[in-house]
Amino acid sequence: MKMNIITLLTASIRNKPGRNLATIFCFAFIAANIFFLQLLFSGTVLNVDQGISRMGADHIIVGAQYTAHLRIGENPPENTMALVKVEPSSARIKADVMGVVGKIPGVSNVSPQLYVSTLDLPAVSPEPVDLFGIDPATDFTIQPWLQTPPDHPFGPGEVLVGSELSGKVGSQIDIQGHLYTIAGRLDPTKSSVDYTVFLNMDDAYAIASAKGIVPPSAPQISPGDVNAVLVRIAQGADSGMVKSRIQQPFSYSYVKVIQRHFSLDPASQEIKGLPGLLGVISTFVVVAAFPLIALIAAMVAHERQREIGLLRSMGAKRKAIFLLVMSESLVLATIGSIIGVCVSLVAFLLLNTMGLLQTTFQVSFRTPALYEIVATSCPALIVVIAIGSISSLWPAYWSSRMNPYDAIRGEGK
Amino acid sequence: MIEIIGVTKSFSTDCSEVRAVDDVHFTVNRGEFVLILGRSGSGKSTLLGMLSGLTRPTAGTILLNGMDISELSDDAISELRAKEIGFVFQLSGLILTINALENVMLPTLFCPDYPGSDSRAADLLTKVGMSERACAYPSTLSSGEMKRVAIARALVNAPSLLIADEPTGDLDEATEQEIMELFRQLNREGTTIMMVTHNSDLIRYATHTYRMTQGNLIKSDGALSPRLTLEPRTNVNDKVSS
Ligand SMILES: Nc1ncnc2c1ncn2[C@@H]1O[C@H](COP(=O)(O)OP(=O)(O)OP(=O)(O)O)[C@@H](O)[C@H]1O
Ligand SMILES: [Mg+2]
Repeated sequence: MKMNIITLLTASIRNKPGRNLATIFCFAFIAANIFFLQLLFSGTVLNVDQGISRMGADHIIVGAQYTAHLRIGENPPENTMALVKVEPSSARIKADVMGVVGKIPGVSNVSPQLYVSTLDLPAVSPEPVDLFGIDPATDFTIQPWLQTPPDHPFGPGEVLVGSELSGKVGSQIDIQGHLYTIAGRLDPTKSSVDYTVFLNMDDAYAIASAKGIVPPSAPQISPGDVNAVLVRIAQGADSGMVKSRIQQPFSYSYVKVIQRHFSLDPASQEIKGLPGLLGVISTFVVVAAFPLIALIAAMVAHERQREIGLLRSMGAKRKAIFLLVMSESLVLATIGSIIGVCVSLVAFLLLNTMGLLQTTFQVSFRTPALYEIVATSCPALIVVIAIGSISSLWPAYWSSRMNPYDAIRGEGK
Repeated sequence: MIEIIGVTKSFSTDCSEVRAVDDVHFTVNRGEFVLILGRSGSGKSTLLGMLSGLTRPTAGTILLNGMDISELSDDAISELRAKEIGFVFQLSGLILTINALENVMLPTLFCPDYPGSDSRAADLLTKVGMSERACAYPSTLSSGEMKRVAIARALVNAPSLLIADEPTGDLDEATEQEIMELFRQLNREGTTIMMVTHNSDLIRYATHTYRMTQGNLIKSDGALSPRLTLEPRTNVNDKVSS
């Protein structure tokens, strides 16, 4: 058996489990915070632009008779954060509204949506399924919700399906004898989008004219009919102003404009400001925890002065004492930061699979790959280890400089 | 080996200034067994602390092997302590977080060219009668047992100078005898010993005895036992190398 510095180090760490656990907890807390924020906002597993694009439209232009038929438990569109899709209705307008609206100053995107019908498709979903037509070329509200980026443009004969509908990408979906290929699946939106099949606009007109799709009670759909025109305003444009400009060329008995209850601009700034917020929160956590850790380190050094005096009496040099105190703190910081990162990662993955992150932040996150976890955890590890060493610099220096004789007598200054 | 010239140590406390050691002059030669007696508070421990460079005198010079220790760097004194000086503190100086054997081995950590074998620490524990408690932690030992472990630790680096502050204070007479015999044997093998005690019976082991009163060190002659004065001291000195 050989005596070495590791024996001494582990012995003194083992000796005070309570206090060391508290220190490790502090370190873990800091690491967990920084790592979690990094995962959320660093862009490693999140596309901020996707977040903005998923906010949907700023305005929806609908027929004057339009009232949203909502599924139970759903928020009316005026109150949802994202205006992604119009609700089923038989109030229709003509697609040439797009041409007029598209030229209005302050409007950047316009795209039509057509509600075809609501069908029972037991093979696909226990709930009734909405059939919608969209224009893939101009659509800016539905495709951003795709689970995985498409490998080709969404074309004729293909459909996009909501998250509650069954069917793998590439498989066929049977809509009352009409076969389509699923080109993409959408992430959960917690809205009626989750129960919707989106067809190409031309396919939508085609199926609408087929027998037994549109109920006889509803007015028949002819090409050029749409249920809504979704509008995104240009950056910096005033939402209310654009709304009145859109309404102006049309009679109130023909169309009405639904405005999202908040404009995209501040929201996008909010999201783009998140990395800055990350910095603020991390700084706050560090600033709050630093004095605590430094205090514990100073207390430990004070408590151990007799022991350190003894080591000095046995011939330990100042440098050895300094390194001993520093390495103890470094070991605790390393253990703490690794625990913190692991806890944080588990929490992130759990919250993400439960969909809580998505509902909270209105954006979706990928499950990070191992190399991404390692890369993302670096700042947390570096910060915590830096805090560990900086906070024990003074105690280590003090320990190495104190008078060994006074220290042994328990009077170290 | 040790030369102390006009050494004074004073402490200023809130209410008064204490001169723990007051203008002490004395010399200890290689191979001597020096015993210091004195009443509580007379400055014995303070003097030993200064000898080992653990604390610095307020005034005066301490020469160790001809070197003024106040002129040595802290690292040099540390090295000197690691290689040359074994210290037994008045109050048990064990590290509480490691067991008895690890405590005994601890000084080897700071002695890069540790002279002993791997089993030396265990052998020393046997010598002080503590081999059976090698794995015991200090908190489970009696104060006499702790003292004996501390003595073993002071000897592990085979120091040429052993400074012992009441090493037998907590021991029964029989164990005290054993420890003193061990010291005597070490002394005969060339270790210089400076020891503080309250037990004047022990002066028969010493080659020189001093008394300390109120910071002053006085050579004590009358108390020296006749048996010891007859001991051939030259033999002891012959054995000392360098
Ligand atoms: N750090 C200190 N600060 C103030 N006074 C001190 C300090 N160290 C020692 N003294 C004082 O110096 C005097 C000598 O102390 P010292 O410990 O050397 O006595 P001692 O002879 O070893 O006594 P004992 O036999 O009781 O151990 C005492 O009066 C003590 O109060
Ligand atoms: Mg004393």
